[in-house]
Amino acid sequence: MQNVVHYLKTIPLLQGLPPAAIEALALQVLPHHLDEGDILFRKGASGSSVYMVRSGWVKIVTENASGGELVLNHCGPGEVVGEMALIDREPRSAGVVALGAVDVLELTRDTFLEVLSHQPILALDVMRNFSARLRFATTYIEKAIEWSHRIAEGDYHFAIEQIQSETGIVDRNKADEVRAVELLAAFFNMVEGVRNREETLKQQLRELSIEIDESKRREAFEEVAQSPFFKDLKSSVQKMRQRDSGEEK
Amino acid sequence: MSRIISIHSFRGGTGKSNISANLAALLAIEGRRVGVVDTDIQSPGLHVLFGLDEKQMKLTLNEYLRGECAIEEVAYTLGNGAKHAPGRGKLFDRDIWVIPSSINAGEISAILRHGYDVNRLNEGLQRVRKQLALDYLIIDTHPGLNDETLLSIAFSDVLIVVLRLDQQDFQGTAVAVDIARSLDVPELMLVVNQALSRYDFQQVQQQVTETYNAPVAAVLPLTEDLVELQSSDIFALRSPEHPWSIALRHIATRLLESA
Repeated sequence: MQNVVHYLKTIPLLQGLPPAAIEALALQVLPHHLDEGDILFRKGASGSSVYMVRSGWVKIVTENASGGELVLNHCGPGEVVGEMALIDREPRSAGVVALGAVDVLELTRDTFLEVLSHQPILALDVMRNFSARLRFATTYIEKAIEWSHRIAEGDYHFAIEQIQSETGIVDRNKADEVRAVELLAAFFNMVEGVRNREETLKQQLRELSIEIDESKRREAFEEVAQSPFFKDLKSSVQKMRQRDSGEEK
Repeated sequence: MSRIISIHSFRGGTGKSNISANLAALLAIEGRRVGVVDTDIQSPGLHVLFGLDEKQMKLTLNEYLRGECAIEEVAYTLGNGAKHAPGRGKLFDRDIWVIPSSINAGEISAILRHGYDVNRLNEGLQRVRKQLALDYLIIDTHPGLNDETLLSIAFSDVLIVVLRLDQQDFQGTAVAVDIARSLDVPELMLVVNQALSRYDFQQVQQQVTETYNAPVAAVLPLTEDLVELQSSDIFALRSPEHPWSIALRHIATRLLESA
């Protein structure tokens, strides 16, 4: 029990709560154990609980365009998954799968709302938390738009420099910023990929070399030009052209 | 005065017949009186593009060259058969005449064995220009530089040499260019056909222009759609918005402007 209380105190979202509220909450959370590959919840599922990872790691997954698994993020001890469902009641935006043995604590929406009624400060913390993430996401969306424009214009150098300087200032201890690093890395790979393809293409373009063997060319020309037929032809064409130009005058 | 335009290439398979037929069609669509002659007697193919029925082609350039008929008798207008194809159907009421070669194997080998009087070819071409009051006479030549091809080149106002981006074509084109210059052909143009999309067409145009010191009228892309059509219609009229057709129209415009 004390372990649970101790653990809950480490969760940033709950840090505004007085110790008594944390202790009350510790009685309400439900422990779950997952083994490797177990699914905590699927993308699109309905569900209104939030889960706090006590030990082990989970991956947050969605599907890419061709139906393959796309890993969005990894979450470990102290991190919270599924928190959006506390607020909006929408289906899960991504799925969560255990990467080995994992212990989580489930906090249901009802419990959360009950705590909220006694501890309005929690609402403020939740809002502050979401607001910070929104701000963070918006900033990166804006940057991503600008980078995309630069890449579309072929200004890879600028894009790569920007991405590298952004990566340098990200705080890797913060989960959101780790996500930002992943976004940056994805952009970086894209720019590198596009630039490399363009370089390869340019390389191939340079492959068109027109080589003409001048001695063979002269030989082939002479063979035709020396024939009696060609000589006749040439003189009759000259006469024809003189006649034509005479007519025009 | 009508203009004679010869379409030539060093080797077969460059798309020469397709370019000849499509250029003739584009000029006819512009209201010009156009004749198009298949002098590729060894492997004729022009009539297929215009949908001429082989059974109806009783007389061809071959019979004329052997002195068996007059040249006017072998200049065919597009019959009812042309109506049904979406491309050449547009030519139905236009002034275009096709002078085909015989596809009869015996005919072909007879020509190959005995040859023919190239002067008769010349007389015929001059006569058909006057008789039909042609604005343009387009000659689809035989690949290489045999006598009838030299004759066509010699009497041309414009020579268009078609080449692909390959070494043999580069070499052969150089010789054709030298021959054309030696014969004082008034206008020489190069057309690159079947260019792969991985090339930068502008760069290709510049490179080829510099190599031969002659203008490149168009760089035409390698086109699966054109191959798929299997010469059963006039592509530039059937798919006018296709990049190949658009590029070919540049050549037609150039010919119309330089007239």
